[in-house]
Amino acid sequence: MKSDPPATAGHSVETVLRGIPASPGVSIGRVHLLIAERVHVPPHKIAPSEVQRELERFERAVGQTRAAIERSRERALTVAGIAVGKIFDAHLMILDDVVFQQQVRARVEREQFSVDYIVNDVLGQNIEIMRKQPGETFRERAADIGDVLNRLLRFLRGEGDVMPQSFSEPVVLVAADLSPTDALHVDRHLIHGIATDQGGLTSHTAILARSLDIPAIVGLGNLSTQVHDGDSIILNCNSGKVILHAGAATLAEYRGKQERYLAFQSALENLKDLPASTTDGHEVQLWGNIELPFEAESVLAHGGSGVGLFRSEFLFLTRDTVPSEDEQFDTYGKAAEILAPRPLVIRTFDLGGDKLHGSINIKQERNPFLGYRAIRVSLSRRDLFRAQLRAILRASRRGNVRVMFPFISGLEELREAKAVLAEAAAELTRERIPHDPHVQVGIMVELPSAVMMAEQLARECDFLSIGTNDLIQYAVAADRGNEAVAAYYRSFHPGVVRMIDLTVKAGHKAGKPVAICGELGGNPVAAPLLVGLGIDEISTNSTNIPEIKKIVRTLSYEECRRIAARALRLDTAAEIQDYLTGELKKRLADLPIWFS
Amino acid sequence: MIQKEIVLLNKLGLHIRPAAQFTKIAAKYKADVYLIRDGMRVNAKSIMGVMMLAAGQGTKLALECIGEDEEQLCNELMALIENKFHEE
Repeated sequence: MKSDPPATAGHSVETVLRGIPASPGVSIGRVHLLIAERVHVPPHKIAPSEVQRELERFERAVGQTRAAIERSRERALTVAGIAVGKIFDAHLMILDDVVFQQQVRARVEREQFSVDYIVNDVLGQNIEIMRKQPGETFRERAADIGDVLNRLLRFLRGEGDVMPQSFSEPVVLVAADLSPTDALHVDRHLIHGIATDQGGLTSHTAILARSLDIPAIVGLGNLSTQVHDGDSIILNCNSGKVILHAGAATLAEYRGKQERYLAFQSALENLKDLPASTTDGHEVQLWGNIELPFEAESVLAHGGSGVGLFRSEFLFLTRDTVPSEDEQFDTYGKAAEILAPRPLVIRTFDLGGDKLHGSINIKQERNPFLGYRAIRVSLSRRDLFRAQLRAILRASRRGNVRVMFPFISGLEELREAKAVLAEAAAELTRERIPHDPHVQVGIMVELPSAVMMAEQLARECDFLSIGTNDLIQYAVAADRGNEAVAAYYRSFHPGVVRMIDLTVKAGHKAGKPVAICGELGGNPVAAPLLVGLGIDEISTNSTNIPEIKKIVRTLSYEECRRIAARALRLDTAAEIQDYLTGELKKRLADLPIWFS
Repeated sequence: MIQKEIVLLNKLGLHIRPAAQFTKIAAKYKADVYLIRDGMRVNAKSIMGVMMLAAGQGTKLALECIGEDEEQLCNELMALIENKFHEE
């Protein structure tokens, strides 16, 4: 990283820095520096008669802060998912720390200072201790406590909740790091880009910037110490490049890039209500993957025509107890109503493996990925499974609900799961509880044995859906989370491409549609291949839908089939990937993935 | 007063979620609870205190319970630790 060059007579020299591209786009503007220094709160003495009033002020501010954090938590869950939502769970725990609250009360009574001063002092000490500890976790915890402290102080001063944002022109926000609260409440009409010193691809700033669709670069080292308010700044968030004090030529170049990028985005926007059909009229369904009911709205907003994977285990991840049938009915029903009449495919709980939970007693296993997970847990915990299936059957009256069983290795599990479903339906009928007994039943094809049995499986269910993440990892026996073997995890491994091909052919032979719901579905390079192999539905994160739709609408089914046939004849993952990349680049030169 | 030596066997150590489970139990009892690591003594009813111990997997700690219901408290906390905070 270059340091600031010596400025000569008020003119600064063009400077380039590199960081991690966290959310795509190009932004050009003026720096607004957000300095997250702790505010100074002077020790203000109070009279003994004022102690009671101070304590009441504290109670009120804690209540207001709690409500504000809960609102942030809801918003975070809606816009950014569980990982960011959990940050605010931590904030609630910090706010409700009994010892902290006791200390504040005791010290206000004993020392007779304003509660603002005491709160700042108590939490400030905690922050200082955390900051002295080594490691990222403590830095984050210190930032969490700082975030709670700032909100509490704002409410104590009667200033309201979030940072004021009144800029006369669009700005690029530069900060050492953004607090989760500030990141969550960024107004994208005023803030056209975010650049931070800290953070990685999975930091809350990166996740939120992507969800809010604001171009962002993180991990820039010491950018915030090199700039001043009003400096000219360019962010190429497709490549991670930051340019300070750009000259006229550079500015013109980036204006051009920005225009191309925006033109592409608005072209995507125009596709929203159009079907994903090839130039020769072959239609593919583009569906979204969700883990919260409200995300169904985002799928529709991005032009999706259904939800191909609702990860129901999210119900376990935000709490410590088993979700009740009624709660599940409510959750599934909400998502179904948002989508109706478009389909909602609910995958039954995929617990175990890397998704463990306290309320289900899963013993530590030597090899959890080959162990007790998903349908295996459901089939041995009938109480849980039956409650979930009853909730799904009931919810299906509120929309177009389908059920999908994960981790099916062969016909035995499918038959057993279907039997439990039939029992659940019979129970509901006996209890005269309204439900729709005719929900479609499908399975995830994510185990090599299911690929080999795909035709028989397809005959006994209504649809197949290929879960590429697990299928790849089981096919090549490589855990992609394990750095030592991650290189063996190749999405375009010829073995994997053949498995997809086999599954599609088998499904179609049985007259059943075949979907794909793994990450491969969101990969633009894979789209012509998947369409050409005959995949009927591609289910992916909603933000990927417009781009995949653009690709599908640009190509003909005939050329997709040729591309797929050629890919099937190539020998290695690298050859297939290079070939697919080349074919896509030829046809779509303005995809943002090429801008780096 | 009851004092026990403990070793954290769960993967996350006293990360925020396990720490929350710990303090939730501690808060139910009248007795005072402290955790001590290398001379650092924190109130185990405080989530910030517990987080401050930076206790990862394998950390050795001393647990101190003082008060009328200290025995039940100590038992419940020990069970939580032995069950690895139900992580796995």
